[in-house]
Amino acid sequence: MRKTLKMLLSFGMSLILAGASLTSAAASAGNGETYNYDVWGEAIPSQAGYIPDRAVSGSDIGAGSFDAPSDIFFDGSDSLYIADSKNDRIVVTDSGLTHSQGVYDRFIMPDGSRTKLKTPKGVYVSDYTGYIYIADSENERVLVATKDRMVVLEIKMPGSEMYTAPTFKPQRVLADKAGNIYVVLGNITTGAAMFSPKGEFMGFYGSNRVQPTAEIIGSFIRRLFMTEEKKSRRTRNVPTGITGFDIDGDFIYTCTASSTQKTDTVKKLNAAGKNIFAAKELSFGDNRPMYDASKSILMAPAITDIEVSADGCINCLDYTTGRIFQYDDECGLLFIVGEKSDQLGGFTSAAAVESCGNCLYVADSVKDTITVFRETPFGAAVHKANSLYNAGYYEEALEPWYEVLRHDGNYRRANLGVASALLRKGDYKGSMKYAKLAGSPEIYNKAFEGYRREFIRSHFTAIVLTLTGASAAAVLLHRRKKRRISRKEK
Amino acid sequence: MLDLSQRQWVKHAVVHPVEGFEDMRWKKSGSLRIAALIIVMLFFAQIAHSRLYGFQFGMPEQKTFNVFPYLVRSFVIFGAWVIGNWSVCTLLDGEGTARNICIYSSYALVPYIVQLYVNVGLSHILIQDEAVFMQAVSIIGTGWSVILMFSAIRSVHQYSAAKTFAAIALTIAAMLIMLFLLVLFLSLIQQMWIFLSTIYTELFYRTRT
Repeated sequence: MRKTLKMLLSFGMSLILAGASLTSAAASAGNGETYNYDVWGEAIPSQAGYIPDRAVSGSDIGAGSFDAPSDIFFDGSDSLYIADSKNDRIVVTDSGLTHSQGVYDRFIMPDGSRTKLKTPKGVYVSDYTGYIYIADSENERVLVATKDRMVVLEIKMPGSEMYTAPTFKPQRVLADKAGNIYVVLGNITTGAAMFSPKGEFMGFYGSNRVQPTAEIIGSFIRRLFMTEEKKSRRTRNVPTGITGFDIDGDFIYTCTASSTQKTDTVKKLNAAGKNIFAAKELSFGDNRPMYDASKSILMAPAITDIEVSADGCINCLDYTTGRIFQYDDECGLLFIVGEKSDQLGGFTSAAAVESCGNCLYVADSVKDTITVFRETPFGAAVHKANSLYNAGYYEEALEPWYEVLRHDGNYRRANLGVASALLRKGDYKGSMKYAKLAGSPEIYNKAFEGYRREFIRSHFTAIVLTLTGASAAAVLLHRRKKRRISRKEK
Repeated sequence: MLDLSQRQWVKHAVVHPVEGFEDMRWKKSGSLRIAALIIVMLFFAQIAHSRLYGFQFGMPEQKTFNVFPYLVRSFVIFGAWVIGNWSVCTLLDGEGTARNICIYSSYALVPYIVQLYVNVGLSHILIQDEAVFMQAVSIIGTGWSVILMFSAIRSVHQYSAAKTFAAIALTIAAMLIMLFLLVLFLSLIQQMWIFLSTIYTELFYRTRT
C-alpha cells in the first residue's frame, strides 16, 4: 500500500516537474512518467500511451470562451459537438479544433415558434437519423433537431405512471440504430429513461444493482421484522444512478460516478439491459486508490464519463484523479493518462471524454478547455498489436508485441500476446517464458503440455534407459542389502 | 528383536501405523535431533510448496518472499502443538514427557512432508488436467500423517481411542488460546515500542535544538 502510494506520489511529482518543460516533453513523444499495473496489481512505471498535445479554449476556435462545457461528442463525419452548458449553446467544430463550424443556441419548433436552450448538459448526433439530440437540462426536456435547427421532437417529463420521479433533468442523451432515445437523468436511480423514436416513454434501462455490503444485508434482515409504518420511515437502499453512457453498435456502456459503490461502475449492456461485464471480476479505475493526506480524502475512483472509440477501446474518465483509464474491448487495461493539476494534461474538473482517430479529447468544466491527447508511437504499437490480438490474429500480432516490449519490457499484455503467439507457432519454450512473465498459468499450462510432449518424443530412448537402469540398480541394491542382513543374522 | 538404529526407527514408526509407536515406546527409542531435522524439513517443504511449485498450477501468492509465514506454519505451530499437548495431557493423566511428544509428533509428520516434496516435483512434470494425481498424493500423505499422529498421541500417553480424540480436540483449543495470547502480547509489545520510540524521538529533537 505504502509502496504504491509512494510510487503514485513520485509519479505525480515527476509529472509536475515534467509539466515545467511541457512543450519539449510534447515534442519528444513517449517520455512521460506514467504508470500501469503489473501482474500483481501493483503500480509500476510505464511508457505513456498518450501525451497531452494542447488545450483548446472557446476563443481559440473563434466561438468565444466556453463556460462549463459538460459534454462533447464526435459525429460520424468527425465534427465535434460541445455542450457549452452555462453559455446555453452547442458549439460545433472540426476534429482539429481549428475553427467553429456553427453554434446552436436557438431552434425552430414544429409550430414555427422559436425556442432557446438552457444549460444543455449532453449532446448526441445519430449517424442513422442524422438528428442532433440535446439534453436540455434546465428546460427539463430533450430536444431532437435536424442540423438545420428544426426541432423534430421535444420530449418532456413523461406523464406515464411508470415515471415516478418528481423531476426531469436530462444529463446525457443518446440514440440507438432504431432511433430509440436513452436519457440519463439527474437524481434517478432506476437507470436511463428510454423513449421510442416518437417520444413515448418506454421504461427504464440498465439500472445498477445494490452492492450487497454487510450493512445492507443486515438492514434487509431487520426489515423482515418491521411493520409497514416503520419501513416507510427508514432510509431506502437504492443503487447509485448512472452518470454517463455511450453506445457502440448494439451495446450501451454505462458508467457510475460513486465513491462508495464498487460494483457496476462500468457496465456493458445488451439490448435486453443485461450487463455482460457482470460475470467477470472487473474493477475500473485505480486498483488501490491513493490517499491524499493534505486533504484527508481517499482518491476513490469516480468514473464520470465513458466513451467507446472506433477500434473498440473503452475510455473511462475518472473525475477524482483526472485520469483517463483506457481499456480494450475485453476490459484489459491499456493506458492511464491525465492527472489532477493546472498544467496542460491535467484537469480541475474533468467532465467528458471522446476519441477521434488517434487522439483523445477531454472537456474540463472549470478550466473551460478541451485538452487534446495525442497517441505516442508506443500507444500506436499497443493499439495495433492489441486489436490484432483480440481479433484472434495471434501470429500477426507477434511482431507488434515485440515492438511494444522494446518500448516497455514490463507491459503485461505484450508478454501475454507474445506467449499466445509463440504457443500458436509451436515455440513452446518461448511461450512458457513469456507466459510466466505475463502471469498466465493457463497459457503456461498449454505451452508446458506441448513442451513435455516434444521432450518425451525426442528423448524417449534416454528416458526409458534411465528408468530401467534406475529400477535395476534399486533391485540390485535391495538384494545385496538383504543378503548382508541375513549373513549378519547367521 | 527390533534392534534398530535411530534412522530405522523413523521408517519403522512411519510404516507401522498401529503398533510402530508402541514399539518405539517399549524400546525407549526416538531421537530429538531427528525430530528437529524433520521440522526443519517441514519448514523447507512449506517454502518449496509455495515458491517452487510448477507455474501451470498458479502463480506464487506473494510478489516478494517473506520468511515469517513459513516460520509460523512450521516451527511456531509445531511448538504450540507440543506445548499444548503436553499441558493438556499432563492434566489428563498422560504418560508422555514433552520430549517424547515432540519426537513422536514429528515422526508422525513425515508422510505429510514427503507428500509436499513429491507434489512439488510432480507439479513440474504434470499439467493441469493431471492434477488429480497430485491430489491423490496429497490426500494419501495427509491422511497417513493424521492416522500416525493419532497413533503417536495414543502411544505416548497410553490413552484409549476415545480419550485420544478428546486430548487432540483439547490440544487444538489450547493451541488457539496460546496463539491468541501470542498475538495479543506481540501487539502490546509493539504499542510499547511505539510509545518508547516516540518519547526517544521527542527527547532527541528537544535536546538537539
